[in-house]
Amino acid sequence: MLFKRHIPLLIVIGVGLLTLFGHFINNTLIQSFVDKDALQWFDIIASFAMFLGALNMLKLQVIKIIKKQKNWQYSILAVVGFAFAIFAGFFYRGANFITISGIQDENLSEVAIIIAEELNETNSFNIENKIMASHDGYEIDKLFITEGNAKLFMEKLTPYVAAAELKSKSWGAHVQTKGSLFYWMFINIITPLGATMFALLAFFVASASYRAFRIRNFEATLLLVAGIILMLGRVPIGGLIPWWAVSILIIFGIGAIVAPFIKERTILLGIVGGGIVIFIITGTLMGWNQNPPYLLSIPVIQDWIFAYPAMAGSRALMIGISLGIVATSFRIIIGLDKSFLGDK
Amino acid sequence: MEAIKRIFILLGSLDRRIIFLIVGLSVLIPLLKPEWVTLPIRITPESQVMFNEMNKLNEGDKLLLSFEYGPSTKPEIHPMSIAILKHMYAKNILVYGFALWPDGNFMSTEVFSDVSDDYGKKYGTDYVNLGFRPGAEAVVKGIAADIRALYTVDLHGTPINDIPMMKDVFNIEDFDFVFSLSAGYPGSTEWVQFACDPKNIPLSTGCTSIQATDILPYVKNGQIRGILAGMPGAAEYESLVEEELQKMDINIKPGKASGMMAAQSIAHVVIVLFIILGNITYYITRKQTGKDKI
Repeated sequence: MLFKRHIPLLIVIGVGLLTLFGHFINNTLIQSFVDKDALQWFDIIASFAMFLGALNMLKLQVIKIIKKQKNWQYSILAVVGFAFAIFAGFFYRGANFITISGIQDENLSEVAIIIAEELNETNSFNIENKIMASHDGYEIDKLFITEGNAKLFMEKLTPYVAAAELKSKSWGAHVQTKGSLFYWMFINIITPLGATMFALLAFFVASASYRAFRIRNFEATLLLVAGIILMLGRVPIGGLIPWWAVSILIIFGIGAIVAPFIKERTILLGIVGGGIVIFIITGTLMGWNQNPPYLLSIPVIQDWIFAYPAMAGSRALMIGISLGIVATSFRIIIGLDKSFLGDK
Repeated sequence: MEAIKRIFILLGSLDRRIIFLIVGLSVLIPLLKPEWVTLPIRITPESQVMFNEMNKLNEGDKLLLSFEYGPSTKPEIHPMSIAILKHMYAKNILVYGFALWPDGNFMSTEVFSDVSDDYGKKYGTDYVNLGFRPGAEAVVKGIAADIRALYTVDLHGTPINDIPMMKDVFNIEDFDFVFSLSAGYPGSTEWVQFACDPKNIPLSTGCTSIQATDILPYVKNGQIRGILAGMPGAAEYESLVEEELQKMDINIKPGKASGMMAAQSIAHVVIVLFIILGNITYYITRKQTGKDKI
């Protein structure tokens, strides 16, 4: 009980109070704890949490496969992907590169041409100049995932250079180096998969809005009109929509808003139709074709929606969330909320 | 009239695979043939403010560029990072890359290696990539307090004390500007709350379109100076940078975001047309059956 509940609770209360009051107390020791030590603790704990998270994920997926739970086949992919990432990160480096030295002047241009061919560069003079400028050996600007490929290329150079050495980027740094297996995995597997998942949204949004975005009531109409204006106003094509099209859209919007209050459909049709005709005649007479009014531009209306109603809603949400965070944090700090200990 | 109604009802019950095909084509065709649709790019006030703030930086100033996005949001945000680097390199600003997301490391590595050579910039003296540390807002707070407590080496494993441009950099107060390339949490909000607002360092952001409404209150308050919202924001900034660099006699190729605007525009129009069509069908069906069918 003492180690499982009381000590963790005391740590949370102590550190919580210290961090909170650290912002208000001008004491070097406390400031140093809040700004430096606490952050390093957090960093260490976060690193362990990542490790634990990975192990937990692996455990859950393996259990799913063993018990052949629903969609267990996908778990095989998850485990294989996990194993491959570990292999690429910790066991297979790749990122092999070649350094050459001791090149005779008569062989210089031949070596530069071979390297330029490998790098797909048309101008070998730049490479020649770089080789001449390098004193401790020239590092060829290409990384090979496999040693075999690097050695094949080295064989081409061997007749012309006194020494060619095969090296690899250091462990750790290899993860971020083009030419390592891990980097290859990220660019060729993770990137297209991530982009595909996000791109699919466009199709689902189109299909869902086609089926579900309906003028059912006042709120739905408001959402629909605002949504259409934002969608068109955010993209360049919105600026090309003429004033009369915007007028028609506005009158349809007004018609949809007042529709629930007018039972006679003929009157509603008359109001909408008449409104459109009056608007277009007025606009034409006032020369809006040459000089369209500012307010009948979709991007301007979109800017207004963005700057006022959308922002007001966003601020309200933000304030609500912040108050919730303050209340929850306070409950945790004073020990009222013990959910982090597994309590319900 | 009945025939028209039937057509609308038929259109209203389109198989979703046909909708997918039409949306796919509306995106694909402008991407493959951008010259078929050329659209003027309108600069929004928020993008203009962001550009002006970045453009105010002088030679030798230090920019903290934070990468908080990954492959899924790369099409929206990566063009911004490319345009920012071109802009900053042209003005000889020192760029310090950080990442709050693990994927951000790959994004930063790619953008630095793609752009730096074209401007003759050298690692360690003109730009540095410090990489990712776990901890979200704790990392932001750490950068605000003491970078060396969090980062002892850069992304390539070089001790940061051996990097020439890290010599006078200890915390966020040593930077002249912070730019957050953000696709979610942790991102721009954390930079405002834990670093830039308390330390009074100018901050600007480029984010996904979805995030824009969440970040806009900070922009209107002046806590974030301008914003590039999604791909349209990236296209606006690209065109501003292109114009600015032309003044400096530097010609650059049009950025990716500008080329993608036609695809996005047409896709939006197609979705709007689907919504209108769906509503007409809904109206006709409701009138015929006298109740909501859907």
